[in-house]
Amino acid sequence: RVSSDGKPPKFQPPPKPVIIDRKTQKEERRFLSPEFIPPRGRTDPLKYYIERKDMIQRRKVFSIPEFYVGSVLAVTTADPFASDKSNRFVGICIQRGGKGLGATFVLRNVIEDQGVEICYDLYSPRIQAIEVLKLEKRLDENLMYLRDALPEYSTFDVNMRPVPRMDHEEIPVNKLQVRMKPKPWSKRWERPKYNIKGIKFELPEHKMKAAQKWSQPWLEFDMLREYDTSKIEEKIRKELSEELEK
Amino acid sequence: MMPIWTKSGEKRPVTLLKVQDCHVLRYVSKEESGGKTAKLLVGGKNVSLFSKPESAHEIFKEAGVPPKQKVSTFNVTDDAIIKPGTPLYAAHFRPGQFVDVTAKTIGKGFQGVMKRWGFKGQPASHGQTKTHRRPGAISTNKAAKVYRGKKLPGKMGNIYRTSFGLKVWRVNTKHDIIYVNGSVPGHTNCLVKVRDSKLPTYKDCNKNPPFPTFFADGDEELPEDLFDEEMFQFTDPSVTFA
Repeated sequence: RVSSDGKPPKFQPPPKPVIIDRKTQKEERRFLSPEFIPPRGRTDPLKYYIERKDMIQRRKVFSIPEFYVGSVLAVTTADPFASDKSNRFVGICIQRGGKGLGATFVLRNVIEDQGVEICYDLYSPRIQAIEVLKLEKRLDENLMYLRDALPEYSTFDVNMRPVPRMDHEEIPVNKLQVRMKPKPWSKRWERPKYNIKGIKFELPEHKMKAAQKWSQPWLEFDMLREYDTSKIEEKIRKELSEELEK
Repeated sequence: MMPIWTKSGEKRPVTLLKVQDCHVLRYVSKEESGGKTAKLLVGGKNVSLFSKPESAHEIFKEAGVPPKQKVSTFNVTDDAIIKPGTPLYAAHFRPGQFVDVTAKTIGKGFQGVMKRWGFKGQPASHGQTKTHRRPGAISTNKAAKVYRGKKLPGKMGNIYRTSFGLKVWRVNTKHDIIYVNGSVPGHTNCLVKVRDSKLPTYKDCNKNPPFPTFFADGDEELPEDLFDEEMFQFTDPSVTFA
């Protein structure tokens, strides 16, 4: 290179590096059914390991789909007293309880103006098919307040067709705010202990303020109540994926 | 505890019991013990030497076995005597057998008469002065004493109790676990004594049990899991009523 005056050439700083962020490209959504996570306690982990083996064995024979509280399911069970020996019930999942083999889910529907709730065992051998008609989440993990809501929010067509959705889409969160029947309700849903976001409270202001009297703001800072399940979940996910591929 | 389903789709609760390092410790003959049958001392879970007093070390040294946390006696007939030092496994029990389970119940401490004996107490209102959970009268005037064994407040729990006639649904030979019907006295991970049932209804129930016990170094090759005939196994397809 030709120097201008015999002095060394002007310093050229190196080009700035271009950072390509690959991590944010695709965060895989991996669903782990909540009944696999063992509760906190002094039980021997061998018991949970053996229970999980049985659960995986059942899942190999009968596929249990991914669903959340708030999704609409259709369950066919074997019924010895029905004419064609099977019974199909469609409803919205309002609660998922229990851990291990005794995991249950409650489906609610209103049939001919009568509210019906059925609690099914996930791993019961009498269940012949579980079909997810509409996969979605709601603002709360427990929709028991639908019992005190207007019946239109719990009615679902028995012959509803499954809503098509793509595999890679995120699960939609239905931000529906439900209108309630007049008080008295089965539980005082306006109290902060239930922490319900999915109700449109039409109560007067002073009642909502009075309900805040029962709030326990120290609970979220209580360290003894913390249960970090991330590492346990990772281990169980690995175990599940290995076993189900066999 | 966990649920188990039968072939007809009914749900049964089941308790898991683990057989952890059980060894036969000593044989006591009928004359020595002064009872009607010979006895075998069996030891449970392994524990370090320092948790047992020196006087107790002898039995374990004789049998050539690490010290055990619990030692219990079983009455045996003369043809079922086992040499001290043999390990005992869960495969000693087979599915379909009936079993009695003994353990120390959960200790509740000093409890009042309503919780301990199920008394009704007194009403909450209508003029009751400081009397809501008391026993009331404890004897009559004519007796002029309180009878022995009167139900009064005291320490409740932490005593040995037995549940009789529990069915064995499944035996896991790899981890030595017995699945026993219903609930069993004691807290989780407590020590428990399992024995063949002595109820008269189950006297002739045991069809060809491993006699005198299941020997691991024998010729029998058992599968990892032994199931009862009526139990629904998860490898089968879902139950249908034809």
